[in-house]
Amino acid sequence: MTSRRIFRSLPAVALVAAGAIVLAGCTPADGDAAATGDPVTGGTLVYASGDAEPSCLDPHVGGNYPQALIAGQFLESLVSLDESGEVIPWLATEWTTSEDGLTWDFTLREDVSFTDGTPFDAEAVKANVEHLKDPATQSSTGYLALGKVDTVEVVSDTVARFHLSVPDSALLESLSQPWTAIESPTGIARGMDENCVAPVGTGPFIVDEWIPQDHVSLVRNDDYTTGPADRAHDGAAYLDGITWRFIPDSASRYAALQAGEVDIIDNAQPDTLDQASKSGTLVEIDAPRPGAANRLELNSGQPPFDDIRVREAFIRAADVNDGIDSLFFGTADRSYSVLSSVEQLAYSDDSLFDTDLDEANALLDEAGWTERDSRGIRSKDGVPLTLRFPVSTNQSIPAEQSLFEQVQATAKEAGFDVQLSPVDLSSWYGALAAHEYELVSAPYTKVGPDVLRILYHSDSITPAPSGYFANLAQLDDADLDALLTAAASESDPDERADLYEQAQQIILGGFYALPLYDQQNHFLHSPGLEGVRAMPTVSTPTFADAWLAD
Amino acid sequence: MPRSRVLRRVALRLAGAAFVLWAVATLTFFAIHLVPGDPAQAILGGPGSQASQEALDEVRADYGLDQPLVVQYGAMLGRLVTGDLGDSYALKTPVAELIGGQILGTLALAALALVVAWVLAVGLALWSTSAGRIGRAIAGGLELTAAALPHFWLATVLIAVFSTSLGWLPPVSNDAASGLVLPVITLAVPLAGFLAQLMRERMLEALEQPFAVSAAARGETAAGLRLRHALRHAALPAINLSGWAVGYLISGAVVVETIFARPGLGRTLLRATELRDVPVVVGVVLVVALVYVLMTLATDVVSRFADPRIAREEAPA
Repeated sequence: MTSRRIFRSLPAVALVAAGAIVLAGCTPADGDAAATGDPVTGGTLVYASGDAEPSCLDPHVGGNYPQALIAGQFLESLVSLDESGEVIPWLATEWTTSEDGLTWDFTLREDVSFTDGTPFDAEAVKANVEHLKDPATQSSTGYLALGKVDTVEVVSDTVARFHLSVPDSALLESLSQPWTAIESPTGIARGMDENCVAPVGTGPFIVDEWIPQDHVSLVRNDDYTTGPADRAHDGAAYLDGITWRFIPDSASRYAALQAGEVDIIDNAQPDTLDQASKSGTLVEIDAPRPGAANRLELNSGQPPFDDIRVREAFIRAADVNDGIDSLFFGTADRSYSVLSSVEQLAYSDDSLFDTDLDEANALLDEAGWTERDSRGIRSKDGVPLTLRFPVSTNQSIPAEQSLFEQVQATAKEAGFDVQLSPVDLSSWYGALAAHEYELVSAPYTKVGPDVLRILYHSDSITPAPSGYFANLAQLDDADLDALLTAAASESDPDERADLYEQAQQIILGGFYALPLYDQQNHFLHSPGLEGVRAMPTVSTPTFADAWLAD
Repeated sequence: MPRSRVLRRVALRLAGAAFVLWAVATLTFFAIHLVPGDPAQAILGGPGSQASQEALDEVRADYGLDQPLVVQYGAMLGRLVTGDLGDSYALKTPVAELIGGQILGTLALAALALVVAWVLAVGLALWSTSAGRIGRAIAGGLELTAAALPHFWLATVLIAVFSTSLGWLPPVSNDAASGLVLPVITLAVPLAGFLAQLMRERMLEALEQPFAVSAAARGETAAGLRLRHALRHAALPAINLSGWAVGYLISGAVVVETIFARPGLGRTLLRATELRDVPVVVGVVLVVALVYVLMTLATDVVSRFADPRIAREEAPA
């Protein structure tokens, strides 16, 4: 995470503020107050989200980013990550793993209660894992994350023992995510309908009321004592509460922030960030999401991309750098890795992605795509070189959609007919399930490099019963499968890093994906809001230490 | 008019209304099934969910999604006839409850916009018909421009001017009445353009009629002529248009509620469509159709008052 204050004309202020935010993230209890004034207790923060309103506030159910954003205010996880990506204590104070990696003992914090009075103990952890693994919960993200956990044994009130079916080097990363956060077992026992409306956790805030399509009211948990080990201060939050609003239109969201109707917005778009930096009063938090970088997947499971020469030709022809510069106003950096830059094990190789139209043409000639029609589109045996590219208008922001148009234009010079079709989310999944695509951009947020296994192991080509499959490049490579499987069980950090590097070399070197940039995640807030930071786990903001200065 | 005749007219009207509602439900049901997307996924946590086969099978059986489309359609009609709108796939709450919680906001928005549009249109028509050739040209241009303005563009401009630059009004809705001003203006202005155009033309026609000439000869003032005589003629087509206008306003609410972050039926419909939440989509569309039908009936009654000739023409000779 990087934080910077947008004060182009006042660099000194920017330095102080940025320093304060970094300090707030790194040093507990002190640092921030000295630089930006003493925390003020009271006031209700208004948060404006551009993400879809969840249909259930319990992130165990389904498990998407909008749920993670709000659930982080009232639920807590067993572990967290610090700024450098190291796993740190949260609700669990320490953990040990057996020699064979099949048993993990988590020691839990004592004297912690959920906000409904239910004690937090090993029994509660067990109930949560069972809740996540119960098909009736309809969990997808949390369910996948705990796929290797068989059972949880209650050793004592404060020790929960996880029994695994195979060693899992990603277990701690999985448990740091909001989708596996710990909820009150009493709350869960109320049943899905009630728990969806107001899940109960140990976090700094409590769900008070949810007015659908309008807002969720959160109030302070006065008895709050927990928090990740890198939290800036102890005890209850400064804010009285949070009004969590849903403002889907980007321009309205920004106008509401400018008018002081709201204190912080998410999903700040490149043009908004550009305006904000010129106006110079708002503060930006740039917190790329972990997991995969945004990238174009090239469907290698069917012609024409089953031929590596055609894939390479596309990558040589499609120019994205100019588009990223002009359409994103310098708010996004080009990536040459399939992993997010916040991932410690991200491997990057820019030399593979040079554009070269002559080379692209030569490769296509060599691959037999030699005929050209009046528009310059190549064909082979009468089959035109068509690339179907369904674009989800829910997931691709307007700047990204424009970038895809530039990809279309530059690829056409080499003779590709890129057919962009902007569709809504349901149609988009429909097109993917029917394999009616050659190119696709699909974000995937997860903590840790194990996301590579989800996205590129051949097992992920087999669709889930819902038709969904994550390996959209349809990459089917036995060596890669072996590397990803070995890495997922490897407990030695150096060995693990080496295995993931080899795996990423195969993915990048085979031209299965065209990396674009990190999954963008920009927040803008008013200068009066202090002490807010994005969690180093999935980059959601936390308001446990935030206060409103005016 | 004999009673049997009145009854027949009422029965015909009701049958027509029922037909409209049936047609709307049918078209909506089949249209949403024509586009790709799996309602079972809406039930199991939205598109892209990684639900298990067991969960999917269970849900399909529970909701009858494994039945042929025609059977599902029949089941839906059966429910609707008894007044049951069903449960939302995504939210698992009764559709009637969901709509009940959202409809007032949308109706208030539409009603206010209709009133404002009428005020603007009458004002513009009265002014332009008395303002000579140049005034008429200006009014004509204004009306055309207003009628052609897309809601999303107008909303964005209004926010930029009245919220961001001047700071007079909130850019997104809030509990205060001030939050309604920009959404209402956004919806009202294009509609006022349509209405004013109609009224001005009719008013000019009316002013050339013999009754207007004789009224003027009796010493009626220019303003009185317009207000007391011509306006009634001019209002007729606009009244008839108001039934359609409510439909237009509610469809505009989809855009306006999204931009101004107002809760309401428009946003409910948008979200339900994205998720393929069939019961909610059908429910909202039906309710909108019902409002439209009721409005059309109401405009019939109002135009009878505005123009007694209608009732007279229908009376037996």
